[in-house]
Amino acid sequence: MKKRILVLLLVALTVSVMLFAGGDAEKAKTADVSKPLSVMIWDSNQEPGIRKLIDDFTAKTGVTAEIQVVDWNNYWTLLSAGAQGGSLPDVFWMHSNESQRYMSNDLLLDVTDRIAKSPIIDPENYPADIWSLYTYNKKYYAVPKDVDTIALWYNRALFDQAGVAYPTDDWTWEDLYAAAKKITKADGSVYGFACPNNNNQAGWYNLIYGNNGYVISEDKKKSGMDLPASIEAMKWMEKMINENLMPPQTVMTESSEDVLLQSGKIAMAMQGSWMLPAFRDNEYTLKNCDIAMLPKNSKTGRRPSIYNGLGWAIAKNSTRTDDAWKLVEYFGSQEGQLKQAQLGITMSAYNNTSDAWKNGVPQFNLQAYLNMQDDMVIRPFSRNTVKWENAVLDVMLRVWNKEISMEAGCKEAAAQMNAILAEE
Amino acid sequence: MNRRSLRSTTKTQMFVWGWILVLPTIVGLMVLNIIPLINTINQSFHKTGDFGRGNIFIGLKNYQKLFSDQAVLQSIINTLKYTIVQVPFSVFIALVLAVMLNRQVKGRGAYRTIFFLPMVVAPAAISMVWRWLYHTEFGLINNLFNLKISWISDPAIAVFSIAIIGIWSDIGYNMILFLAGLQEVPKDYYEAADLDGANVIQTFRHITVPMISPILFFVIVTRMIAAMQVFDTIFMVMEQRSNPAMYKTQSLVYLFYQSSFVERDFGYGSTIVVVLLVLIMCITVIQMIAQKKWVHYN
Repeated sequence: MKKRILVLLLVALTVSVMLFAGGDAEKAKTADVSKPLSVMIWDSNQEPGIRKLIDDFTAKTGVTAEIQVVDWNNYWTLLSAGAQGGSLPDVFWMHSNESQRYMSNDLLLDVTDRIAKSPIIDPENYPADIWSLYTYNKKYYAVPKDVDTIALWYNRALFDQAGVAYPTDDWTWEDLYAAAKKITKADGSVYGFACPNNNNQAGWYNLIYGNNGYVISEDKKKSGMDLPASIEAMKWMEKMINENLMPPQTVMTESSEDVLLQSGKIAMAMQGSWMLPAFRDNEYTLKNCDIAMLPKNSKTGRRPSIYNGLGWAIAKNSTRTDDAWKLVEYFGSQEGQLKQAQLGITMSAYNNTSDAWKNGVPQFNLQAYLNMQDDMVIRPFSRNTVKWENAVLDVMLRVWNKEISMEAGCKEAAAQMNAILAEE
Repeated sequence: MNRRSLRSTTKTQMFVWGWILVLPTIVGLMVLNIIPLINTINQSFHKTGDFGRGNIFIGLKNYQKLFSDQAVLQSIINTLKYTIVQVPFSVFIALVLAVMLNRQVKGRGAYRTIFFLPMVVAPAAISMVWRWLYHTEFGLINNLFNLKISWISDPAIAVFSIAIIGIWSDIGYNMILFLAGLQEVPKDYYEAADLDGANVIQTFRHITVPMISPILFFVIVTRMIAAMQVFDTIFMVMEQRSNPAMYKTQSLVYLFYQSSFVERDFGYGSTIVVVLLVLIMCITVIQMIAQKKWVHYN
């Protein structure tokens, strides 16, 4: 009997030793070249195109890669959990909202030397603003992937029905208001315009900067939401909300603007250039919709587009940094960037590739997006962008839901934002 | 070998075997529950740094902030609202169904399977289906009955819409537990009651409920704990940041998720779950005391 116990204990011991050893072995994992590189992105619209780029890359180098798509909200949850647990994907998208935190915590691979040595990547060929998003202490931590601008999408069928002329490049925000008023039907079946509280980059940020206001000060210490110019700009939005020229917030939360546009429920929406694949692949929008430049601010004459650009980043603790760099280098190369534009995935960051993007989908007036590049403002960010951005969106939600006035909302948002910025 | 030493060897053997057999569970509990629990409580006294690095001890500051935070108070109310609706309905409907399906009904197996099915489906899938049922514009419910109700974006009713999903998902599971309990009730009691002329409701109240009260108690306690932790349906059905009903619907666990994983303030997030833990403990203790009044162990 005693023997049996002994044997059993021994078995238990060996099993546990094996388990722990297994744990150690995983920690000290060495590069496994046969396994594909892991790539993580958040936009499923872009996935088919990126997959094609990766196929080209594999054909060239023999290195395989596998894409995982995680939606925007969960992407950052998953990525920060991976960062904390030391298991980031090899290659992934970086965004201005988060890049500061990742770079300052030394989680991204410093690619400065690799760029210097690379015959393919020359920083000169990409917008300096985009580099600045992924530069920390004068070191580069990502290679620019794309740029984006904002334009106005409109549904020709609904304009025709109401007998209103299509938006032109000379439109002011007052013209948009007047058109929306004519198109909106009293029974709630059609609305002239839609812009929910959480469409900031493609939506109301553009209004604020157009009126010479700002969201965050140059030194990232103060909110500009309570500036008279910002409030004045936002009052245009309040008019759209209160006169019911937009669907109620309850409707806009259940179906996003792209869905509302695709179902013929709204006539106009402000959308980023990254939405192109979604509208191209939808029969209804391909047939009925087109693009115009954003309206001008009649007072300042400005028509800025908030813009941003993603970067391809590599995990610092990746076991295959050389292969990962090859992939990122390919994505950033002129060839890769040109293909990205031609496939209509997004506008590319590489200079002079936008014509390829424009000609990729001739059904739409993509020139509008290119014209918007004349006055571009980088998307407001700081070290902990997400925290104040969410606080501001939550206050705006109350404005959109008609609980408080826009002026009160802007002031409240600024107060909360300033408190958060003070802690940064 | 004399008798005494024989007994002591048996005792040691039982002792050793006992420990070997419970070891996997204990290890699992330690790694998955106890250690994270201690970690969480510890974190609630810290201002956590980026990616879990550089935590700073700040004493009770997180708790101070918590008690003046309107959103926390509101989410406690929301959680209680959800629990008060979800638990009684899911228990009562399940009990009635179990009693009905305990009889010789045609197609009994099929009914039992149908009611149990929601339990088998992944919560994420359930939420996606309900999201479309509830949709204001294109939803089945509104279109079928020609309504214009914003089920999941009207602050006044969203929490109850979420509770309906919870009731629907839990009925099957509760029903199976009750069915198991009903098998144990001796037939003689019902026959005796029948002879005395008791009607259906009387037998249900005076025989069925007392006889299965231990199971009833178990179900209520566990379901209550589960309901207090509601998260997945809210998270999947309602859009974050743009749903005007969110403030009046978000549960404590949802708020914890927002703090910890969206704003990455793990310290404050931990504080919120510690409050939830205390709340659940209090409610469970009250139930344990109250059970003496109504639960009959044979």
